[in-house]
Amino acid sequence: MKVTTWFGVLDIGRTGEILESDLFSKDVRELAHRSLVLKENRQGLPPAGFDLKDAALESRFIDSSAEYYSLLHEVTLEAVKIQVSGALTPDQRIIQAVEALDDLNETTNSLSERLFEWYGGYFPESGLIGEALAIFIAKYGSRENIGSDNPLYSKARGSMGAQLEAADEILLKGFAENVCSLYERKRQIEVYIENSMESVAPNLNLIAGPMLGARLISISGSLEKLAAFPSSTIQVIGASKALFKHLRSRAPSPKHGIIYSNPLINTAPWWIRGKIARALAAKLSLAARIDFYSGTKDSSLVEKLDTKVRQIRASNPKPPQKKQESGPKSKKNRRK
Amino acid sequence: MPEVRKLSDGIFELVKDKKHLATRNLDPGKVVYGEKLIPVEGVEYRTWDPRRSKLGAMVLKKFDISLKENSKVLYLGAASGTTVSHASDIVSEGAVYAVEFAPRSMRDLIGLASRRKNIFPIMADAGKPDSYAHIVEPVDLIFQDVAQPNQAEIASRNASRFLKKDGYLLLSIKARSIDTVANPKEVFKEEVKKLELAFEPKFEILNAKDLMPFHEDHLGVLAKLR
Repeated sequence: MKVTTWFGVLDIGRTGEILESDLFSKDVRELAHRSLVLKENRQGLPPAGFDLKDAALESRFIDSSAEYYSLLHEVTLEAVKIQVSGALTPDQRIIQAVEALDDLNETTNSLSERLFEWYGGYFPESGLIGEALAIFIAKYGSRENIGSDNPLYSKARGSMGAQLEAADEILLKGFAENVCSLYERKRQIEVYIENSMESVAPNLNLIAGPMLGARLISISGSLEKLAAFPSSTIQVIGASKALFKHLRSRAPSPKHGIIYSNPLINTAPWWIRGKIARALAAKLSLAARIDFYSGTKDSSLVEKLDTKVRQIRASNPKPPQKKQESGPKSKKNRRK
Repeated sequence: MPEVRKLSDGIFELVKDKKHLATRNLDPGKVVYGEKLIPVEGVEYRTWDPRRSKLGAMVLKKFDISLKENSKVLYLGAASGTTVSHASDIVSEGAVYAVEFAPRSMRDLIGLASRRKNIFPIMADAGKPDSYAHIVEPVDLIFQDVAQPNQAEIASRNASRFLKKDGYLLLSIKARSIDTVANPKEVFKEEVKKLELAFEPKFEILNAKDLMPFHEDHLGVLAKLR
């Protein structure tokens, strides 16, 4: 019987003795690569309970048990390092980018608000918010520095704001520059996601748009997992709280998760949102599968989705009549 | 000076202000996950937080994990290596084959394994023991902590291949990853029954207790081959 191990191929007799052995060289890197090949290749599996260390000693691959473990340690370590370095696939990069974007959004908003409050004490009439305000402060600092050609000039002259001292001005300007660069970074990441979505998941990109597509991949964990989800799951990705409330108690099922951000759904009248969400999710799951398994762009998906949405809209022009309230039902057999 | 009491081979209880579960640090001076290092008479101990480790919780719940200095362990669901590090302390002359599937966790585990000679990291799916059959030798203990719906099946597949005849299986069953909405007690009953009867090889359950108050909705199971 042929048995393949990490250190060589052995021919084992009926009583377990080694008849012949074809040992690999003791090169750690080579052994690690072989080990990864063996992981996929299910031939020559050692029988249950086969003692690899004894076999390695008996076949003279190594001289001592200590040597066995120290070599195996190096080989397994090398093998996982190879695997980990190969694990950062393009969809994983998109996930990092989209999560960084969410963090950036949060940070930028709170810093931007802080800047608004802070500078508001010195020039409340500016009427600027967000990035425009940050750019303004970074450029001028105190309202005194605005030239007469600036549209805000007259407001600045008559402002009720306090005098901005030099030390505060330096602080505020620096702070505003930071906020500006955060906005800049946000745009940069958005462009990056748009470009990578086009190459990694062109169909998903076409139907969901780059941001929604990237978020779907991010929540699923990978494009592979997204492709494996049924469309009913994709429909409620991002609504897990509502979904589990529904499963545990008698709460209504969620109609849509993050796919709500797609204009097809959020511009539709409320009574057909669930139907459109279902149609969209169906096409999204198809798109994810095409992207993962073939990668070719198929524009017919969008057309089919459009037709379907038109149908739904045409056959449901009016909101349904409200049903009679049926009163709360017994929750006896449910867990809270 | 803290008082040291031996609970079983390689596992200690230190009394310093309060009681700490601890193992002897195999990698002196290094902290793995923010635990305390307490030197006693020239030996450095690492405290072991049962709230962060199901194995630790099982020790406090009086599971007889029966590890010796030279035991071989197959650890399924190694994650970032928090518990693996303590297992590695306990079997200082033995081996811990640490199987983990997620690349992110594996990154941390590699850091740990490169400093500890008795940890053998394996990046593979614990549900497919054939994929590491060319590496793992027969073991004295299989410890399994995987958040998978088919936990019992995974345990039995691995046991049939790697567990010695007189070896033990230690299992942490997470009710929530089998059925998110069902009553955990029902899920536990179901899973224990599966271990006893559903697959080949069959197990004899020696001990089964929930891991409260350390882990919610988790059942610890100690079993051996029937």
